[in-house]
Amino acid sequence: MKHRSTTIPLLLWGLLTAQIAAAQPLAIKAGRVIPIAGKPLEDGVILIRDGKIDAVGKGLAIPIDAKVIDAGGKTVMPGFVDVHNPSGMSQANERNQNVPFLSVVDSIDPSRTYFKESRRNGVTTAAVVPGNSTMIGGQAAVVKTAGRYVDDMILKRHAGLKISLSPGSNASRMSHLANLRKELDKARRAVKKEDEEQREKKDAVEKKNAEDKDADQGQADRDAGGVAKPGASFNAASSAEQQLAAMKSLLRGQMSAFIYCQNAMDVVQAIRLTEQYKLKTILVLGQDCYRAAQEIAASKLPVILGETLVFWKTDPRTGDDEKIVVPKIFHENKIPLTFQINDTSNATLGSRYLWYQAATAVKYGVSVEEALESITLRPAKILGVDQFVGSLEPGKDADLVILSGHPLKLNTWVEKTIVGGEVVYDREQDQELRGLLDPQAD
Amino acid sequence: MYRFAIALLVAFHFGCGSTGAEDLVLMAAKAYTAHGPAIEPAVIVIRDGKIAELGAKIELPAGAHVVDLGDAVLVPGFVNAYSQMGISGGSSELTRELTPDFEVLAAIDWESRAFREAVDEGVTTVGISPGTDNVVAGIALAAKTHGKELRRRVLRPNAGLVMTLASDPRSRNRSRSRPDSIYVRQPTNRMGVVWMLRRAIQGARRDESASGVLAEALQGERRIYCVSRTHFDIETIARVAEEFDFAPVIVGGEESHRLAELLATRKLPVILGPLRTSVAAGTEQTDPVWNRAGVLRQAGVQIAMSGPSLLEQARFAVRFGLAADDALRAITCVPAGILGIDERVGTLQAGRDADVVVLDGDPFEFTTNVQAVIIGGAFVVPPDRRTREPGEANQTVGRHAAGSQSRPAPQRTQSGPNSP
Repeated sequence: MKHRSTTIPLLLWGLLTAQIAAAQPLAIKAGRVIPIAGKPLEDGVILIRDGKIDAVGKGLAIPIDAKVIDAGGKTVMPGFVDVHNPSGMSQANERNQNVPFLSVVDSIDPSRTYFKESRRNGVTTAAVVPGNSTMIGGQAAVVKTAGRYVDDMILKRHAGLKISLSPGSNASRMSHLANLRKELDKARRAVKKEDEEQREKKDAVEKKNAEDKDADQGQADRDAGGVAKPGASFNAASSAEQQLAAMKSLLRGQMSAFIYCQNAMDVVQAIRLTEQYKLKTILVLGQDCYRAAQEIAASKLPVILGETLVFWKTDPRTGDDEKIVVPKIFHENKIPLTFQINDTSNATLGSRYLWYQAATAVKYGVSVEEALESITLRPAKILGVDQFVGSLEPGKDADLVILSGHPLKLNTWVEKTIVGGEVVYDREQDQELRGLLDPQAD
Repeated sequence: MYRFAIALLVAFHFGCGSTGAEDLVLMAAKAYTAHGPAIEPAVIVIRDGKIAELGAKIELPAGAHVVDLGDAVLVPGFVNAYSQMGISGGSSELTRELTPDFEVLAAIDWESRAFREAVDEGVTTVGISPGTDNVVAGIALAAKTHGKELRRRVLRPNAGLVMTLASDPRSRNRSRSRPDSIYVRQPTNRMGVVWMLRRAIQGARRDESASGVLAEALQGERRIYCVSRTHFDIETIARVAEEFDFAPVIVGGEESHRLAELLATRKLPVILGPLRTSVAAGTEQTDPVWNRAGVLRQAGVQIAMSGPSLLEQARFAVRFGLAADDALRAITCVPAGILGIDERVGTLQAGRDADVVVLDGDPFEFTTNVQAVIIGGAFVVPPDRRTREPGEANQTVGRHAAGSQSRPAPQRTQSGPNSP
């Protein structure tokens, strides 16, 4: 009893302060606003209330109770969206090649360096997607890059199923694809059977209703379309049922498919699978897939480029060297770009940064506007979270980044990263960065 | 588009004129010479593969071919001071630990793609060293990254003697279980590495009349490069160097920023290894420090950069705190000086080789592209298309014509008959 008497007031106090904090509006006075949706504004104001963007414009009246961040002379734009990255999870691939029921949510550790680095580099939303070497590798989730617990971070729990067309080390492409088709066919049969059963049940219910108007309508409703929420059906008892449930929601279009294509021939397979099984496909491309640029353009499927944007290859027959500039090839084929980033040791100097990938695209002829969209709104659309993030518009989440200058300039740094109206990164407080730049200071 | 236009222009230039020895004139918006103040606008006269003259206003020689590069910015061809570029097969002799008279010259495949990639990034000169697995590895050279005739391509076959004082030579003992193997290697720890080096130096010293490579190097006739990354390895080589009175160039130097004062007072230059932007520790568990270059420069240490993507490294170094002109010097004249070829390359000034990189904007922006690369007065990037498409000479040159109108044209008193 004694315990409760102290905890209740504390709890109440906590709730109250939380509410006060949430209720206090935030106003950012920006030297320049790049909203992505719409033209850039000079000397714009962004009003934030309850973690959402309330208004973006010039000369807006700032509420008297608002906390003001003066970003005069600085550039404010939506937080970057990392469209495909396994780095947020602890182990990206499974030994079992068929695990559609697994979810990265169980593997996301908010304290990972990846999330810290993301906030430091202006990434506010990230799709955590299983790796490229599992046939059906589990479900991706879209998360914010800030939060204490994974549940605070989730923006979209069932963001898509990862499928890889690259066979594992002990399988051939033929058997890999045959296995994949077998799984898809199994799910398709199940979906068909389920649909038929429901139609019969519905017919029976209607018949019964006609006979007895007091029939319990509710039960039938609950049964119909039992897979409306992908998560709901995952409580199935056996792993075979779990597998099937996940695959069914893929075929019903409730989840998109991230299909990894290692090379150009995989792209053609991916497009064929998409047509055959009516998948909502997102193509995750290896560096060699540039050869299928025309097919990709014709398919109009969204694409995610690999982190290596420029590379050399030698024709094994003629010995001729060729420099491949991937963003240029895709841009010339009018394919909208999005980029991956990677932090492995063999990655090139800048491929850890989304802004660097965008700058590289600009270097090879892509316009600045297009490049900025490809790291903000476009990935948000591909992930199906553009009603929440990706641009600075009223009603969207207040996820934004305050930059010291133009986003693609060499000397521009992320000053502050804001997620849901909260400052989650502040360069002035970044001791680690200070150590990297000025090692003598400490 | 811009690059394509240049290709056309080059084709135009070669398509119309004879291939004789007439002067080539480059006109651009700006030139950073790595030698004096920037020249704006910039005119460079190239004669017989060398820079004959450069300035903002120059009387053009008669019959010269003028290539107007519009808004382009010119910088000297970049010099990568340390690499294993083009080495075919192993870069270290594994049956011995001391191979001072091994010449890297014998191991290079001059057709290697690595050279093509380097040229494409604007690197026109490269220092090539044997690998790091031996205590004393052999003789490095300095060469151009492009050129048909090997004799002219190699600037200095003996640019210096390379040794390693790091964990590499001690970690290559592949025959611990087979003491009779020919691959048995002695040093298995750092003490062993230093002991071997000392013994070799003492051996060379003992014989006053020694004409060996090591003796020559110790007498100052040859540069000594020492690969050392951790602060304690750098301290060790500094100590050994003091003892035997020589002045090595530190290569790698991942923790050299900790010894900036020492390196400055002892006047030991540093060729920094590839810049890492990762926050994870390096191969020898070295500090991930982004602004090594800036810290060293501030203390007065001579720095050069090495490794892949030289210009990109210099850009990141500027982002992390190095002054832009120091960054340009660190990939041009400083490495040229270290390699002992600064009379030939590393700056844009009269008398130097006409190795020029044409950029489509500020050198220190990530969005700036290398538009053309000229080595010894000839366009290497984009490739010389004389033989392939001579018919293109008749096409118009879009952006260049516009570029030349939009800015005050330099005095062009006697432009050649074929100038655009």
